[in-house]
Amino acid sequence: MSQAQRPGERILVVEPTVATRLPADEPQRIEADAAAVEWRAPGRAVFRDGAGRSIPVLLGTDRLASPGAPRTIEVVAAGWRFELEVEDATRADLRRRAIRDRGSAIDAGGPLEIHAIIPGRVAAVAVAPGDVVAAGQTLLVVEAMKMQNELRTPRDGTVQRVAVGVGETIDLGDLLVVLE
Amino acid sequence: MKSRRPGASPVAATVSLRKDSPPAVELSGAAPFRRVLVANRGEIALRIIRACHDLGMEAVAVFSDADAGAGHVRAADAAVRLGPAPAAESYLRGDAIIEAALRTGSEAIHPGYGFLAERASFARVVEEAGLAFVGPSSEAIAAVGDKLAARRLARAAGVPVVPGTLEPAAVDRPDALAAILTDADDIGFPLFVKASSGGGGRGMRRVTAREELPAALAAGSAEALAAFGDGAVYLEREVRPARHVEVQLLGDAAGTIVALGERDCSIQRRHQKLVEESPAPGLTATERADLHDLAVRVARAAGLTNAATAEFLFDEDRRFWFLEVNTRLQVEHGVTELTCGIDLVREQLLIAAGRPLSEASLASAVRAATPGLHAIEVRLSAEDPARSFGPVAGRIGRWSMPAGPGVRVDTAIEAGDRIPPDYDSLIAKLMVVDVDRDAAIRRLGRVLDEVEVTGIQTTLPFHRFLAGHSTFRAAQLSTDWVADEWEPAMEAERAAALAIASSVAAAAAAGGTIPGDTIGAAPPRIAPPPALESGWLRAGREADIDRWPPR
Repeated sequence: MSQAQRPGERILVVEPTVATRLPADEPQRIEADAAAVEWRAPGRAVFRDGAGRSIPVLLGTDRLASPGAPRTIEVVAAGWRFELEVEDATRADLRRRAIRDRGSAIDAGGPLEIHAIIPGRVAAVAVAPGDVVAAGQTLLVVEAMKMQNELRTPRDGTVQRVAVGVGETIDLGDLLVVLE
Repeated sequence: MKSRRPGASPVAATVSLRKDSPPAVELSGAAPFRRVLVANRGEIALRIIRACHDLGMEAVAVFSDADAGAGHVRAADAAVRLGPAPAAESYLRGDAIIEAALRTGSEAIHPGYGFLAERASFARVVEEAGLAFVGPSSEAIAAVGDKLAARRLARAAGVPVVPGTLEPAAVDRPDALAAILTDADDIGFPLFVKASSGGGGRGMRRVTAREELPAALAAGSAEALAAFGDGAVYLEREVRPARHVEVQLLGDAAGTIVALGERDCSIQRRHQKLVEESPAPGLTATERADLHDLAVRVARAAGLTNAATAEFLFDEDRRFWFLEVNTRLQVEHGVTELTCGIDLVREQLLIAAGRPLSEASLASAVRAATPGLHAIEVRLSAEDPARSFGPVAGRIGRWSMPAGPGVRVDTAIEAGDRIPPDYDSLIAKLMVVDVDRDAAIRRLGRVLDEVEVTGIQTTLPFHRFLAGHSTFRAAQLSTDWVADEWEPAMEAERAAALAIASSVAAAAAAGGTIPGDTIGAAPPRIAPPPALESGWLRAGREADIDRWPPR
């Protein structure tokens, strides 16, 4: 099976969730070496390592826990079983920035831009400019993969701007709401 | 997976050939029994059921609630529920097993290994119920089941036993301590305190210095008393480095005893075997013949019949030391079958019916010192080799086992099966046979590449490491191999696999779609055969429903 490579999706972030004894606090950025992977059948590949040995690799169950969450893939390489969270680099960067923004902005009390961490369609907008919101309150609802996802504010504040409207299609990273 | 034979009686079904009533005429080719109850589970139960079918006999399975839809139940002609999942309430219930045998018209009980296989009391009640026990007599099991008794018996037969004491240490008498310490000084340190009724390392203590001995005796004895109801302990020298070699024995009621080669089982962890091979590498034909002779002498002294195994340590000075006798079919019997061409379970069944040793096994014994093939078995277990081989319970996702020339896989697992936490973690025995050891190891490498298991961690990484390791290839085997070679390398092995797994996952995800499992990997099942127990049918169906879809 050939792997269609698309720019921007080649680099993925893989973080082991089960590999508890490995230093896995920071997600690892893995550059997929597609040339080293030969697909033999659905879910079955061999990996050619630097020494030219071929190592059997199986892909097991593939779970998408919730829209926007990293997908979890079971991989068995050379008999070792891992459950790996995989997300592409663009999304991982956004997520990391969101966390960082939250961390600094919440404390600093400055303006906070809230970006889309999942693509989808805006199903509802619960706030308007000027509204005072409390941490955890729903700002808007995004429909993705037929599921309604409530987007909540990470801190108290006043809505300065709502950048999207009901029915609008949003992409990963689009600006949604700005809090004062 | 199974082919159903007609329910009608197989050949010679009316001829009952009991151990206590040997046939007046040798009925060559006739089934030794009409129906046999297999008092075990998993791969060994399935393996025995297959031997029964090969002989044209019916096989009755027993099962616990955890195994209602298990492979051995699916393969049997009938199945009887024993009780809830815990072994004490199911597979260890001798009364329920004998009742099941009588109710189903079984004429013999094969205990497999583990559970009740080496309990003399169970063998005795089977015999008293008028059934054939497929194994040594209850007297012989009792004679060697006590390790001290076995040591005395071997020594009386002129077989070197591991240096140590031959009588129980008087742990309850403070005045006897001086004598025990004198014994210990004579044996030398380090030594082991071992339980006479022991097994699986319980009641065993390693003692490196004189002053540790009193505490080790007390602790070992207390542990043995709790585990076996017998606190008798003795002292035995630690032979190290050592290889673990064992001899396969077969004996018939007429007193003919043969050795069908030996197995090297040195690769162990926590006194549990991981890899076995036959023949033991590096022995000369003379050493091999001597070893077989020692084993036959022990068997003869103990009055052993049917199948048994004598275990020895082989030290650096190339001496054999008798360790103990196992009065059962061993887990690793398959490697002997592959090298000598004998079906040991078939031999067991024929012997239990009073038949003499087969011509084939007699002929094979003559060649046992000069084997022409080499077989290796690895035990694939539901264990995490990175966490001290700790057991892993769960559900199997994908399941595909190796095949092809020179390969044998004994398993009762299918895709979607659950591994119950109640029993042994062994899920498959992978065996290879080839013209010599090097070829067998190459074949093992190919076989391990073919193994496909998802859903649970298995010991596969350990076996791959072993098959590729220079010391294993050079037959530098030792009971310390896991500690010396695997443990230091394990983390790096796992990290390397994680890097590969990450890269493959990334490549798969980058392709937009992941060419992963179709989740419903388990094939739909055919309804189970009619059973003597209607509850079994229901339980089996429920288990199938439970299995579909697998997640």
